[in-house]
Amino acid sequence: MAVAQTDIETLATADKPQGYWSGVGRRFLKDKVAVAAGCVAGGLILMAIFAPWVAPQDPFDGTMIRRLSPIGTEGYPLGADELGRDMLSRLIHGARLSLFMGVTPVLIAFVIGSAIGIAAGYAGGWVNSVTMRVLDVFYAFPSVLLAIAISGALGAGILNGLLSLTVVFIPPIARVAESVTTAVRKLEYIEAARASGASAFTIVRAHVLGNVLGPIFVYATSLISVSMILAAGLSFLGLGVSPPNPEWGLMLNTLRNAIYVQPWLAALPGVMIFLTSISFNMLSDGLRSAMDIKQ
Amino acid sequence: MSDAILSAHNLVKHFNAGGWGAARKVVRAVDDVSFDVAPGETLGVVGESGCGKSTTARLLTHLLPTDRGEVRFRGRVAGTEVPLKDFRRHVQMVFQDSYASLNPRMTMLDAVAFGPTVHGLDLPEARRRAGALLERVGLDPARFGPRYPHEISGGQRQRVNIARALAFDPDVIVLDEAVSALDKSVEAQVLNLLTELRRERGLTYIFISHDLNVVRHISDRVMVMYLGEVVEIGPTADLYTAPRHPYTEALLAAMPSLDPDRRTMEAPLQGDPPNPIDPPPGCRFHTRCARAFGPCPGTAPVPALVGRRHLASCHLNTVKEAAE
Amino acid sequence: MLIFTARRIAYTIPIMLGVSLVCFALVHISPGDPLVSILPPDASVELQEQLMAIYGFDRSYPEQFLRWLGRALQGDLGNSIATGRPVTAEVMNAVGNTLILAVTATIIGFTLGGLFGFVAGFFRDSWIDKLASTLAVVGVSVPHYWLGMVLVIIFSVELGWFPATGAGPGGSSQWAWDWEHMRHLVLPAVTMSVIPMGIVARTVRALVADILQQEFVTGLRAKGLLDRGVLAHVIKNAAPTALAVMGLQLGYLLGGSILIETVFSWPGTGFLLGQAIFQRDLPLLQGTILVLAMFFVILNLVVDVVQSALDPRLQRG
Repeated sequence: MAVAQTDIETLATADKPQGYWSGVGRRFLKDKVAVAAGCVAGGLILMAIFAPWVAPQDPFDGTMIRRLSPIGTEGYPLGADELGRDMLSRLIHGARLSLFMGVTPVLIAFVIGSAIGIAAGYAGGWVNSVTMRVLDVFYAFPSVLLAIAISGALGAGILNGLLSLTVVFIPPIARVAESVTTAVRKLEYIEAARASGASAFTIVRAHVLGNVLGPIFVYATSLISVSMILAAGLSFLGLGVSPPNPEWGLMLNTLRNAIYVQPWLAALPGVMIFLTSISFNMLSDGLRSAMDIKQ
Repeated sequence: MSDAILSAHNLVKHFNAGGWGAARKVVRAVDDVSFDVAPGETLGVVGESGCGKSTTARLLTHLLPTDRGEVRFRGRVAGTEVPLKDFRRHVQMVFQDSYASLNPRMTMLDAVAFGPTVHGLDLPEARRRAGALLERVGLDPARFGPRYPHEISGGQRQRVNIARALAFDPDVIVLDEAVSALDKSVEAQVLNLLTELRRERGLTYIFISHDLNVVRHISDRVMVMYLGEVVEIGPTADLYTAPRHPYTEALLAAMPSLDPDRRTMEAPLQGDPPNPIDPPPGCRFHTRCARAFGPCPGTAPVPALVGRRHLASCHLNTVKEAAE
Repeated sequence: MLIFTARRIAYTIPIMLGVSLVCFALVHISPGDPLVSILPPDASVELQEQLMAIYGFDRSYPEQFLRWLGRALQGDLGNSIATGRPVTAEVMNAVGNTLILAVTATIIGFTLGGLFGFVAGFFRDSWIDKLASTLAVVGVSVPHYWLGMVLVIIFSVELGWFPATGAGPGGSSQWAWDWEHMRHLVLPAVTMSVIPMGIVARTVRALVADILQQEFVTGLRAKGLLDRGVLAHVIKNAAPTALAVMGLQLGYLLGGSILIETVFSWPGTGFLLGQAIFQRDLPLLQGTILVLAMFFVILNLVVDVVQSALDPRLQRG
């Protein structure tokens, strides 16, 4: 009997249920800039993974005869570096460490920062206040300064570089996570979930995470660009990755003295950093508008 | 009245409105509210917005912690004598905003199935029962089960919310403005559904609304709230025909009526309710009451029995000299 | 206004305390003995203990922190382990150079970014608007130290217009407002100005577009009255926000100048930090970072107070 009553209402709605993600995917694919940026970023990641098969030469093998060969030398299309190693191969291999150093801190900070921010946001009250005030302290440092300060104190090394960058990105991610969670927590479906008798942990898992992780993740992807620049910057300063490993920032550093001999060769590693940074930036912008997140 | 299924005893809830120490301001959202509900009964709760109806609903369902007072379920204190998790299975709630009260990333079937899984039912069985409940509230489970909240209408969503509450097999459902946001025709359908379900399952409702017509239609008894206090509570017919509190009278007079003879020309209630941060002393209603007299500004009236199960807090009923 | 300022200052104090705690901790998270860089490899245990006592490293952490904080409040940030000179003097000398660079860069960045944003906001969705938003993305995505190198390659190596490094002739670290010194300032300042330019352009664009959509402006435009009055109104309304962004960017540049200063061997705080890192001169590292972070915190405070004085609506909440 009740069924008959509702038929008028039901006719109005579409017949096929549509998930949230299919809509996001459709909107994203319409955005040509974002798709192009995604292809570049994907290409760089593939290049990093398959570096040994893609690179024409051994990135560590150099002779002083080929030292600083110019771009366009036969067999060395992008020239050779200050130790006579093939530039193209080093740039390709450099993608491994550079991307690793740039992306990993953001991923770790995403996990830790989300956990802190969601916990603070869901708990509210004084737990929230104390957490956010502590994070404010880290906000008092410009990100470059904080990364270099921690890295400088810890000394050079891949692990120290990762650690300092992770510390830099936790506060901003936690802050975004907190504000998104606080907004979600006030919604009635969270109240309804509480009325079901579910524990805070269950509510966060079943009802909060799905609604906050998307926006937090998009924000985190926007940090990859900054992280790439900072990670390479640390190596550029002599912190982070140490020679003879190929890493774009470090390559920029060691080639700096060659600037009067082969100026454009010396600038090549920066092109890679720039390319990675801008493609992640645009990818993140595209994701944000596809997911309709306002910031 | 120890046979009450749910009762409120001197509930108090004050919200902080800024300031520290002596300058601290509090909103007296709910101030010393007591009442009880008999099994199978529907208690309507009415009042202007900001009178504490919704806060009372959240205190009753323990979604907000009380500052003072207690809620008893079948005579036992909720949260202590009845563990909260059990209490929640017995007392459920349906919210006003049908969209905000559904997780946008959860299908309707899972939204209904979620509650029972919290209480230990395995997911396939919970989903099976959820399907049956969707069917019962008038939604084809094959068609609506896999949908998301934004894909269905407000009336359909509110049916889902009712099904979600039913999934616990509760004794009491608190309906906080549950039909207020719906179109009139849809509202009528949902009200009919609620009436059927009550008969079928012996449910007890606490029906909160600002719409006096709807409350009259569905309630056995009605409670009128003003500025965080109960001013009158009594059987629907008595209260609507012979209100014993000037505020109730004013509310009824302001009610849109289909009967032209009963329409009043002047607005019976002037202005907005006073600020609940600083409620007037004495009877809180005296600043807007057309019949305020001697004791009203100074002494707060106490609830007095004015009929069978009919209480009102007004000096007019108790002080002799006013009766002329 | 007074209450707001007082509240804002009260809020800043715990932040400052936290910042000092972080700076203090920097020395203690560093691996190894903090004295290792000044001790001769064959130093006796007695000498080592003596030096530990002199530098106060033998006390408990809270005690060390309080003593360090007390001295820092009096302007004593200890002595550089490498040079033995007071850290405060070294930092203050370098801060001046960094300020010159950062202020110049902020001015350039704001003039160009503001102009771009203004034009883009005025002619929304035109080609110039698209160009401005592309430049904004490029501005935030470009590794600025690399951009510095590229500018050096173009303008010093290839064209020879500007010097590549230093703050003055012969690597002078004393600033003077003469032609030679100014020539040295151009490339690093332009490089640095790219950091705020994109953000400024984006902010100004949004502000201008927003104000132009307000009703009375639309009304004036409909009447064909897009005169100086409207322009003045737009500027007046955009000023507080633009100012806030400017202040924050200046603070950011002060702290973020390290990499650019390294590229150009600019004798500022960044250069000092680089030295401190290489020589593992932890007091110098700590002192420089403390000063820069405090600058940033105080600048934030000033920006907030000034901004709310210009736009009293911001004082609520």
